[in-house]
Amino acid sequence: MSTKVVVPRKKRLSEGLTVTQKVFIRSRNGGATKIIREHYLRNDIPCLSKSCTKCQSIVVPDAKNELPKFILSENPQVIANIGKHYVVVDTNIVLLAIDLLENISCFFDVIVPQIVLDEVRNRSYPVYTRLRTLCRDSDDTKRFIVFHNEFNEKTFVDRLPDETINDRNDRAIRKTCEWYAQHLKDYGINIVLVTNDRLNREAVKKESKEQGYFTKSLYEYADLLSNADEIKELIPNVDNYAESKELLPEDKSEVVFPEYYQTSRVMGGLRSGVLYQGNVQISEYNFLEGSVSLPRFSKPVLIVGQKNLNRAFNGDQVVVELLPESEWKAPSSLTLDSEHFDINDNPDGQGEEDEFNRNGAEAVISDKQRRLLAKEAINAQKSKKVQPTAKIVSITRRSWRQYVGQIAPSSVDDKTNGIQNVFVILMDKCLPKIRIRTRRAQELLGKRIVISVDSWPENYKYPLGHFVRDLGDVESTQAETEALLLEHDVEYRPFSKKVLECLPSEGHNWKAPVKLDDPEEISKDPLLPKRQDLRDKLICSIDPPGCVDIDDALHAKKLPNGNWEVGVHIADVTHFVKTGTALDAEGASRGTSVYLVDKRIDMLPMLLGTDLCSLKPYVDRFAFSVLWELDDNADIVNVNFTKSVIKSREAFSYEQAQLRIDDPNQTDELTLGMRALLQLSIKLKQKRLDAGALNLASPEVKVHMDSETADPGEVEIKKLLATNSLVEEFMLLANISVARKIYDAFPQTAMLRRHAASPSTNFEVLNEMLQKRKNMHISLESSKALADSLDRCIDPEDAYFNTLVRIMSTRCMMAAQYFFSGAYSYPDFRHYGLAVDIYTHFTSPIRRYCDVVAHRQLAGAIGYEPLSLDHRDKHKMDMICRNINRKHRNAQFAGRASIEYYVGQVMRNNESIETGYVIKVFNNGIVVLVPKFGVEGLIRIENLTDSAEDAVFDELEFKLSFKPKTGDKVRDVHVFEKVDVQVRSVLDPITSKRKAELLLV
Amino acid sequence: MSRLEVYSPEGLRMDGRRWNELRRFETSINTHSHASDGSSYLEQGNNKIITLVKGPTEPTLRSQLDQTKATLQITVNLTKFSKFERSKTTGSTKNERRILEIQTALVRTFEKNLMLNLYPRTIIDIEIHVLQQDGGVLGTLINGITLACIDAGIAMYDYISGVSIGLYDTTPLLDVNSLEEAAMSCVTLGVMGKSEKLSLLQVEDKLPLDRLENVLAIGIAGAHRIRDLMDEALRNHAQKRISNASNK
Repeated sequence: MSTKVVVPRKKRLSEGLTVTQKVFIRSRNGGATKIIREHYLRNDIPCLSKSCTKCQSIVVPDAKNELPKFILSENPQVIANIGKHYVVVDTNIVLLAIDLLENISCFFDVIVPQIVLDEVRNRSYPVYTRLRTLCRDSDDTKRFIVFHNEFNEKTFVDRLPDETINDRNDRAIRKTCEWYAQHLKDYGINIVLVTNDRLNREAVKKESKEQGYFTKSLYEYADLLSNADEIKELIPNVDNYAESKELLPEDKSEVVFPEYYQTSRVMGGLRSGVLYQGNVQISEYNFLEGSVSLPRFSKPVLIVGQKNLNRAFNGDQVVVELLPESEWKAPSSLTLDSEHFDINDNPDGQGEEDEFNRNGAEAVISDKQRRLLAKEAINAQKSKKVQPTAKIVSITRRSWRQYVGQIAPSSVDDKTNGIQNVFVILMDKCLPKIRIRTRRAQELLGKRIVISVDSWPENYKYPLGHFVRDLGDVESTQAETEALLLEHDVEYRPFSKKVLECLPSEGHNWKAPVKLDDPEEISKDPLLPKRQDLRDKLICSIDPPGCVDIDDALHAKKLPNGNWEVGVHIADVTHFVKTGTALDAEGASRGTSVYLVDKRIDMLPMLLGTDLCSLKPYVDRFAFSVLWELDDNADIVNVNFTKSVIKSREAFSYEQAQLRIDDPNQTDELTLGMRALLQLSIKLKQKRLDAGALNLASPEVKVHMDSETADPGEVEIKKLLATNSLVEEFMLLANISVARKIYDAFPQTAMLRRHAASPSTNFEVLNEMLQKRKNMHISLESSKALADSLDRCIDPEDAYFNTLVRIMSTRCMMAAQYFFSGAYSYPDFRHYGLAVDIYTHFTSPIRRYCDVVAHRQLAGAIGYEPLSLDHRDKHKMDMICRNINRKHRNAQFAGRASIEYYVGQVMRNNESIETGYVIKVFNNGIVVLVPKFGVEGLIRIENLTDSAEDAVFDELEFKLSFKPKTGDKVRDVHVFEKVDVQVRSVLDPITSKRKAELLLV
Repeated sequence: MSRLEVYSPEGLRMDGRRWNELRRFETSINTHSHASDGSSYLEQGNNKIITLVKGPTEPTLRSQLDQTKATLQITVNLTKFSKFERSKTTGSTKNERRILEIQTALVRTFEKNLMLNLYPRTIIDIEIHVLQQDGGVLGTLINGITLACIDAGIAMYDYISGVSIGLYDTTPLLDVNSLEEAAMSCVTLGVMGKSEKLSLLQVEDKLPLDRLENVLAIGIAGAHRIRDLMDEALRNHAQKRISNASNK
C-alpha cells in the first residue's frame, strides 16, 4: 500500500455540505487499482443524545419522512471515578466481545463510530449483523447508536502522509470521542473510549492532556462497573492471556502446531492448483479424522491426525495441501471421541509433543510434483482402497459460534478458589475440548454451560475460550432443551416488540369479512374483490391429533360431467405477513418451526400460527386454494389457483377421519367427499410409485408424555394410516402444480425444491456389505430401479430386514434442498425421491418460510398482487435459500436430538433386553441399531471382551471376532446380524450426557 | 456487493449523501471555441465529459442530407481509461452494441426537442468524450448535450435534464453513483424543462410497477433542480461573455 497520500481538495457545495474525494489503492489478483470515490461531508448528523439541545434543530427527515430518534439517555450509568458516561467502542472490542456488548447487565449508552462498524463488517460479517441488530433493537434498554463520524464534517479526518490506514482510523475514533466530549460537556456526560489497543490508548494520553475524555481497556472498564466480578468472568480469554503474557513465561512453550501459510502463498497455491479450498467435515466416529470434499476429486480427501487437522473445527472453510503418496491411507476403522481422549491432560500445561513431532521432518516437494501428485490422487480414488490424504495449511473461515458443554470434573482443582484453567467438553463430539479460565469452576460443575471460543494459538494443544452463561443443571429438562436449541442454532427467544407490532391490531377478534363486496371492507383491503368465496364448499381438515396450526384443508365434489372437483386450501399466511416488515424478516431468519418432543418453537407468532391463519373449523378463514378438475383416473383435467375465503366444516385427526370413512352408516356429503378423496389418493400414490418414487424409512419413534407430570411415558414407533397418505398425496399434487405455475411465471427466481440423485459412491459400502452378507444388490440406474431393488431386499426369516436396508439407504441419499430456479438448469430440478421433474413447498406456510415465498410468487403469477422485488432478485433469493436450507437441517437435527434425549429418559426407568441389528463394524467396536427405541449405539471392544488385543477385525468380510466375556468360544459378529442387546441408559461420568448403552447378550 | 451498506438505517448513502441529494454539479461552457460551434465540459459527481457540437453544416455524405430538416448525429466516445480498470478491448469501441444503443437513445431524446426543421439540408454533429465515469452516465450525457447545444445556438424548445434514480428496497435514491448502480435497479430520466414531460425513460432492470411512481416523482424533482443549475451556469457564462464583448 502506498504511503504517499495526496490530500484531496475539498469543495463547499452549500451550507453544511462539502465534497471531497476518497482515494485508495486496491490490489486484486496482483494488480493495483486506484479507486476514487466521492465523499460528502455534512453538518446535519445528530449526536442522538436525549440531553442535547443543539442537535434537535439540525436533523432532517429520511425518505419515509421520519426524523431520527434520539436514543442515548440523559441519565446514563454512573461508574466510579468517571460518573455519568457514554461508551465509545473500538473495533477490537466489538470483534472480541460482542457477547459482552449484547449482555443485558453491562454496556449501556454505547456509541459505535461508523468507522468501527465498517471495520467490523470487513473483518466479520456475522458480528456486523449482530451489532446492527443490537443498534436496531436496543431502544430503551441498551441504547446503542451508530454515529456516522466519516460523513460529519467536524469529525472527518484526512489521512496524513506516511500514516497507515489503521492509524488513520484510530485517529478518526479519537476525533469522534473528542467531538462528543466537547459536545456533551455542558450536560455533565463523560465519554469513555474502550479499546484493547494499547497504542491507541497511549496516543490518547500523548495527544493532549485536555481532550476531556477517558480511555480504558475492556478489563479496566469492567473493573469500574458495580457488577465487576460477574462481568470480568465473561471477558474473552485471549485478552487475559495477552495481558498476562509477560507474567507467565511457562505459557510460552514450544510450537506444537504447524504455522498457517501466509495469505499470499495460499492465494498463489489456489491459483496454480496445488492447494485446494473446501469445508472440513470431522468424522462423527473419530474426532481426529476429517475429510474435505473438493470438486476436483470424486471422493472426499482424508485428513488424519491432530497435526494435519491443524486446529480446524468441524465446518471450517480451510485450504489443504496433499500429502506425499507414502502417507495415503484408508479411512480409519477406529472410533475415537474427544471426551475420552487424553482425559488426564492438564489444562494448565501444554500438550506433550510426542505425537506432534513424529512426522516433523518433511521432504520438500515442488509445485510440479504436487500437480502430478494430484493426478495420481484422482486415479487412486477411482481404483484403490487407499485414499489420498492432505493437511490443512490455512483456515479461511472459522465456523466458531457459541457452544454448549460442561466442565470436565477431572480438570478442576477443588482446592483453589481463585481463577483456574479448566476444560470444557462440548456436546458436539466432533469438537475438541475448550480451555477456559474461570473462578467459578466448582460452582459450575454439573451444569450445562455456554462458552465461546476465542482463539487457538499454535502453541496451545486446545483452543481457548471463555464462559458465557450457565443454562442450569445437567439433565434438568429446561437446561437440556435450551442446550439443544442453542447447539442447533435455533432462535427460541420470544418475538420482539417490533415483530409483534406487525400483527393485526384486532388480535384474536380478527374476523374475515362477511361479504366480499362490502365497500367498507374493500376500503381496508383493496384486494378483497379478487378473493373467491368458497364458504359453500364442504371443506374439512385432517391432521395429527392435537394439532393447532392447521395449514391445510381439503374438499372434493362430483361435477356434472362425472369428473371430480378437488380443492386443497392452504392457510393464507401472506395476507398477514407482508414483505419488508419486521415480521417477515423474523420469519425469514427463523426459516421453519421446530418441533421438539415437549415444545414447539414457532416461526410466526402464536396469534397467526394457531388462530388467524390456522384453518380452524366452523369459522371463516382466508385461504390460498388450488382447485383441480380430476377425472376418475386421478389425471388432472384442469387446475386453477385462487385466493379465497373458506369455512372448514370439521377438523379431524387421522384416526377420526379413518373411522368416519370406514363407517358405512355415514352417507352425508362430507363423508362422500372424503371417500372420493381417499380413492383418488390411492390412484395418485400408485401412479407415483409406478413412476419410481421411493419409499424410504427412518427409525422414527414417538415419545408419549404423561399428561399430568409431563414425564416421558413410553416410546412408540410411528404408525401410518390410509388417511395420512390421503393428505400427503394431495399436498404433493398441490406442491407440484404450484411449482409448475411459479416456474412458468418466474423462470429465474421461482422458489423450488430439488432432490439430486445420490452418487453411486455413497452406496459403495452398503452395496459391498449387502453383496458379501446377503448376496443382494441395490441398483442405482434410476429411482425406479432403486425402488424396485429395495423391494427385492427381503430376508424371508426377518421382516424387519427390508426396513433396515431402507433406513441405511436413506442415509446414503443426498439431502433435498431448496433453491431458486435460476440456480440450476431444468433437468436438475428433478426430485429424485418423489420422481417428479419439478417440486416446491407450498402447503405449510405457517411453519416453513419456503411456502411463504411460494405463496407470494403464486399470488404474483395469478395477478393477485405484484411480487415484491425481494423474491425477484436472484441474489436475495440465494440468501433466502441458503438460510432456509440451513435452518431446515438444524430443525431436523434438533427434533431428533430431542427425541433421543427423551428416549434416554424413558429407558432410564426400564432396562430391558431388545433385538438389535449390527449396522457397522469397526476395528474396536460395533454399532447396533435397536428398532424399538430407534436408538443406535456403539459397543466398544472393551465391553465385548476381556482381551481386546485378541479380537480380529476382518475388513473385507465386515466381521469382528472376539472372545466374549463369558465363555471361551470365539464369537463372530457380522454386519446385518440380528443380536440381542441389553439396553440401559447411563450417564457418562465425563460428559454427563445420558445415552443408551448397549451390551451384547 | 450486498455486504455494503447502500442505504444505512440512519439514512445515509455510501458516499454520505441523503436519499434526495444530487451529486456535485459543475460545468463550464464554450470550452472548445475553435474546434466546435458549441461546447461544454461537465462534472456531475465523478462523471466528467466533454461535449462538442458542430453544425449546422453541410453534410459530407449525400445520404445524410434531408430536404425537410437537419440530420442529428451523436457520437459517444467512452474512453478506455474512464473506469477504474482500463478497458482491455483492443481496437475501437465505436461499433460496440452498448455504445450504439446509447447513441440511438440520445438521438431519439433530442430529435423532438431541437427545432431541426429550421435547418434543412444540414447536419448537426454532436461528439461526446467521456473522460471519467461513475454511474448514471446517460443522464450526464443528456445534460452535456443540452449545455453544448445552447452554446451552439441551436434552436430548441426547452432544456432537457437527465438523472438516474435507483430503488433500494423501498427507498428511491437520487442520482446514483457506480457503486449504487451496480447494487440495485435504476431508471434514467430525461425531463423537459420544468414540465413533467419525459423525453427519455430508460429502465434496464426489473422494477416493481407500484414503486415506479415514487421513483419518477423524485427523479423529476431532481431533474428540475439540475435544470436550474444548468440555467444558472449558462446565465453566468452569458453575463461574462456580454461584459467581455462590451469591453472591446
